[in-house]
Amino acid sequence: MTHPADIRRLPSGVPGLDAILGGGIPEFSLTLIVGAPGVGKTTLAHQMMFSFATLARPAVFFSVYGEPPLKMLRYQQQFAFFRADMIGGAVRLVDLTEDIAAGDLDAVLARIQEEVKALAPAFVFVDSFRSILVAAQRQADGSRKLREFLYELGLFLTGWQTTTFLVGANAPEGGAPPIFTVADGLILLEQSIHRNSMVRKLQVLKMRGQATSPGVHTFRITGEGIEAFPSATIRDDPGKVTGNPPSPPHSTTRIAMGVEGLDAMLGGGLPAGYSLLVAGPSGSGKTILATAFLAEGVRRGEPGVIVAFEQTPSQSRTPTIDNMVRAGQVGLINTRSLDLSIDEIVQRLVLRIQGMQAKRVVIDSLSGFELAVAPTFREDFRESLFRMIAALSSLGTTVLMTSELEDRYTDLRFSPYGSAFLTDAIIVQRYIEIASGLRRVISVVKVRGSAHSTEIRQYEIGDRGIAIGARIDDYEGLLCGRPRRSEKPPAAARGRPA
Amino acid sequence: MGVGHTDDAIGRTLGVRAAGSADAGAMAAAAVATWQDVALQLAPVIGARGFDVLLGRALHLASRSFPWLGDDWSTERAADRAQMLDTLGRRIAEAAPAAAAHASRATFDIFNDNLAALIGAPLAERLLDPVWALPAPAAKEIAS
Repeated sequence: MTHPADIRRLPSGVPGLDAILGGGIPEFSLTLIVGAPGVGKTTLAHQMMFSFATLARPAVFFSVYGEPPLKMLRYQQQFAFFRADMIGGAVRLVDLTEDIAAGDLDAVLARIQEEVKALAPAFVFVDSFRSILVAAQRQADGSRKLREFLYELGLFLTGWQTTTFLVGANAPEGGAPPIFTVADGLILLEQSIHRNSMVRKLQVLKMRGQATSPGVHTFRITGEGIEAFPSATIRDDPGKVTGNPPSPPHSTTRIAMGVEGLDAMLGGGLPAGYSLLVAGPSGSGKTILATAFLAEGVRRGEPGVIVAFEQTPSQSRTPTIDNMVRAGQVGLINTRSLDLSIDEIVQRLVLRIQGMQAKRVVIDSLSGFELAVAPTFREDFRESLFRMIAALSSLGTTVLMTSELEDRYTDLRFSPYGSAFLTDAIIVQRYIEIASGLRRVISVVKVRGSAHSTEIRQYEIGDRGIAIGARIDDYEGLLCGRPRRSEKPPAAARGRPA
Repeated sequence: MGVGHTDDAIGRTLGVRAAGSADAGAMAAAAVATWQDVALQLAPVIGARGFDVLLGRALHLASRSFPWLGDDWSTERAADRAQMLDTLGRRIAEAAPAAAAHASRATFDIFNDNLAALIGAPLAERLLDPVWALPAPAAKEIAS
């Protein structure tokens, strides 16, 4: 009976990366990390190295630099993952700059072999591999010598059972060097600058023996190091990726909104797992409605999470939300960054939802969200929303999103993002003018797969939140902001004896 | 001032290497042997050129307080290091015993400070610990 080789997958130590890799870095593999200068290749390599290395399974980092190792050490130790106490023990740094300067690849190979034999590392890093390619190109028979070097290096390191990373530049124009072919894994890092924002992107172009997450993912470099944000994929059943819009989970459970009268308008509450869009102009009380939604959840033992995009602290948050956040009943994700990717928000949100076992999510607001997303992603904002809603739906959370409506009364719109069709339910709030007075009205426009009220009801905002009042029977054209008295008598009046 | 615990360790190491002798020649030999050890520890990590540049700067700065050290240190090629250390040893050996000890100690202090400023005191200490932990000259073969 034969058994396939058991390939252990090593956790990379880079948050989010293992999900993209398909489980981690395959043990004894040779992986290339490529990308333009400054994109974070060495940082990624160091972060994995400090995560992998132990005294029993040490790592060796061969520096073959264009930049002096002194500078590399100076800047890399700014990251939280850098452990000076591991240098010389679990992590060995070996400078090969002098060796490569001579251009003798055989000597470089011999030096690497000598160090590996002496130190018996479980992990080997060579940074930057580009220096080796350049050295080979300088030689008369450089191409052949490079192939021989790569073959010997790959064979030797495999024989010594090391998990190896070669850090280098992108494939040169005119064809990839042989190393791109012989490598088991290929991680490509890129960065794009659009106006005032920079977005870093990551692709796993190859990882033998495992299913990687395809496509472009974003990552961020902070003082903690690299954090990757796997692109949200949409699955309609385990393992099957689909491009169809997400269907809300069939649920007979209805959840209370926390606003008296609103549940009845929704047909008995909002179906659990639905996404709800609350659209209205500035000051119409969208955040107050969202607050009531979260507070009702807390009252019923359902934790919530709110994603706010405020440029100043507590710009739009209500004291009730602040209190619930302080009490740990509601998780707050607030960002003032203007270079986010949708995947970054989704990842933070998913972690928070899972951590708190949250049932209710509020995104306040889509307008702020669009501003926070890096310009390069704004063109895909609608698609991004679609993926986010799908990801949240798969977690079984009920999502309330607010959307700013322009004070435009000549047409009837629910969202400037065309996001209305993405959501399962829509509530619209409007200002109307009646008898030289400004009043607020609310209506349920849509609850997918459910009967709901079509009434237009007045509401007031007071100290206790939203109070929904009577419906307005004797006017028409309310949602266009120019109500006029209906020529027909109110329904209640019809049928009365004259 | 030197970095962390190396302050005392440098003096102790030089003293041990000079076998307690107040003779300038003994101090010169001790300093050169210690520099060779420092190079052995650092060159694999920061590169031979990295070490040479830092040594050249330390000697340059030390020569302000000890002009007899000279300020003609060339660090253009790593291969010059042996010649550089020969010259350093000769100049220390020709100095008064007290000045020889002070200058040697000061140069190591400056070197340590510069290294720590670049890569941080914890890493600098970690890398040079084996040099300062040296118990006695006989305990380790001094590489040439």
